[in-house]
Amino acid sequence: MRTMRKFLKTLNKSKWGYIFVAPWIVGFAVFSVYPLWLGIKMTFMNYNLVAPQSMKFTGFQNWINGLMDITFWKSLLNILYNQAIFIVLTFFIALLVAYLLFKISSGNKFWNAFFRSAYFVPTITSVVVVMLVLGNISAPYGPLQTILVKWHILSQPIVWNLTPILIMPVIAIITSWMSFGMQAIILLGGLGTIPPEYTEAARIDGAKERTIFWRITFPLLRPQIIFIMVMNAIGGLQMFTQVYVNFGTAGGPDQAGMTPVLYIYDQGLTKFQMGYASTLGFILSGIIIIATVITLRVLQER
Amino acid sequence: MIRQERNERIRAYIFLSIGLIITLYPFVLMVMSSFMTPSQLINNPSMIIPMPFTLSGYIGLFKNLDVLLLFKNTIIIAGSVTLLNLFFDSLAAFALAKLKFPGKNALFGFMLFTLMIPGVLFFIPTYTMLYNWGWVNHYRALIIPSFVQFYSIFLMKQFMEQIPDDVIEAARIDGASDPLIYSRIILPMSVPVLATIAILTFMGAWNDFFGPLLYLRSPSLWTVQLGLQMFSSTIPSQYIQVLWAGEVVITLPILIVFLFLQKYFIQAFANVSFK
Repeated sequence: MRTMRKFLKTLNKSKWGYIFVAPWIVGFAVFSVYPLWLGIKMTFMNYNLVAPQSMKFTGFQNWINGLMDITFWKSLLNILYNQAIFIVLTFFIALLVAYLLFKISSGNKFWNAFFRSAYFVPTITSVVVVMLVLGNISAPYGPLQTILVKWHILSQPIVWNLTPILIMPVIAIITSWMSFGMQAIILLGGLGTIPPEYTEAARIDGAKERTIFWRITFPLLRPQIIFIMVMNAIGGLQMFTQVYVNFGTAGGPDQAGMTPVLYIYDQGLTKFQMGYASTLGFILSGIIIIATVITLRVLQER
Repeated sequence: MIRQERNERIRAYIFLSIGLIITLYPFVLMVMSSFMTPSQLINNPSMIIPMPFTLSGYIGLFKNLDVLLLFKNTIIIAGSVTLLNLFFDSLAAFALAKLKFPGKNALFGFMLFTLMIPGVLFFIPTYTMLYNWGWVNHYRALIIPSFVQFYSIFLMKQFMEQIPDDVIEAARIDGASDPLIYSRIILPMSVPVLATIAILTFMGAWNDFFGPLLYLRSPSLWTVQLGLQMFSSTIPSQYIQVLWAGEVVITLPILIVFLFLQKYFIQAFANVSFK
């Protein structure tokens, strides 16, 4: 009886806490847990969205088909090819920009804010607009290739979106242009937290600027680097809009522009094979989670 | 020593200015091209100054595409998502930052864990569910499922933790209940982080393409991004300046907000790390 009363008292005292977090819990239950349960069930069924009466239990057929689907694995290779270029390129540009922005942070306040904001502008632009504008700039007779041909760097214009081997690198560069500003701001935040005594001590000992950066500053950026790389692993492997805007659901010539999410979209939204599309979603999520765990393991190691 | 620092700074300015050309060139080209004639765009692609200067891009845009309708639709969706998130996220953040209740830490740990779940896992099942509920082709399919978001709760919680406990205790001794403390003390003191979340959420919804593509079928419901993408595939190349004008028009609102409130944008990313 006494414990019951005590329990009710705690409950009453903490009731607002529960009420305030309740919306998140309800939202999570309805829009995450329930769909997840639905999704698991669907992976064992042949489920056509527009002909639900033909729904049939098929056991592990979707899983077997998914694991042996050549287009799906090709799309995964495509996105890995894309990310290998994107991650390295974006990170080192962002690191350089963060370093330069940090150098000027002790100077004039106006220019400091100006450069920070200017480098951030690509981040606030939508993927659709970026693909249209940079697609135009890099088009065969667009400004970039015209200049490269004029300077004899290119012998003739290249139609990159019809050249399978070039599709993913070009999209990686365009995405990189969009994302490096945000990564630079994150790294700049990290640079600001490093006590200046650390680098000053090394400088007094006569260490070179480059040595100081790579030996002292860079390792101290680990928390920011982990954040960026985990974001890359989760977000990058789910690329959709960049390729959809260029190639629709077909994935471009030789399906060189096909990404896993684009393929899942095609299976679900154009072919209505919800069971199969859901299975591919689970397989891809498994791969992303493995990639995230590997990223954490590698980067958190001393 | 000081002189060396100054030299380094000047070198940094020079490199940053060169980098800025690459960063801002696409925007300059976009704005300039929207004022060019088609023949100039086709014959002289590396020209940057519009000669002759023409408004035909904008006239053609507003004639062929109901831009105002796209704006209205996008504002309804992005505005609703933003308001719902400001309210529900801040309530949860207040509870997690300042209230005591059994299971709080476990709940927060679980919320953090959900950040690691890839969104693609829910993509097909959620679409199937909302399709069966008859939500496809309704704004609610884009608004209701994103009414509360953990990442925003997390940012708000971090901010609210810095509000001193004494203020809250004093109010509690005066007999204030938790809802009153939330509305009279926490919300007014959290304006900077609320601004950051409002901007990020609104921008996310404004720039979203995937959601509208999934759920909005009728052109009368389309948002700016979906509308422009659909429009872009129908424009013949002799009217290409119209597309440039469209890109400028849908980017401008976000750019203007950014220019005025840049510090709130940048703040959201300046203190993130993974420990």
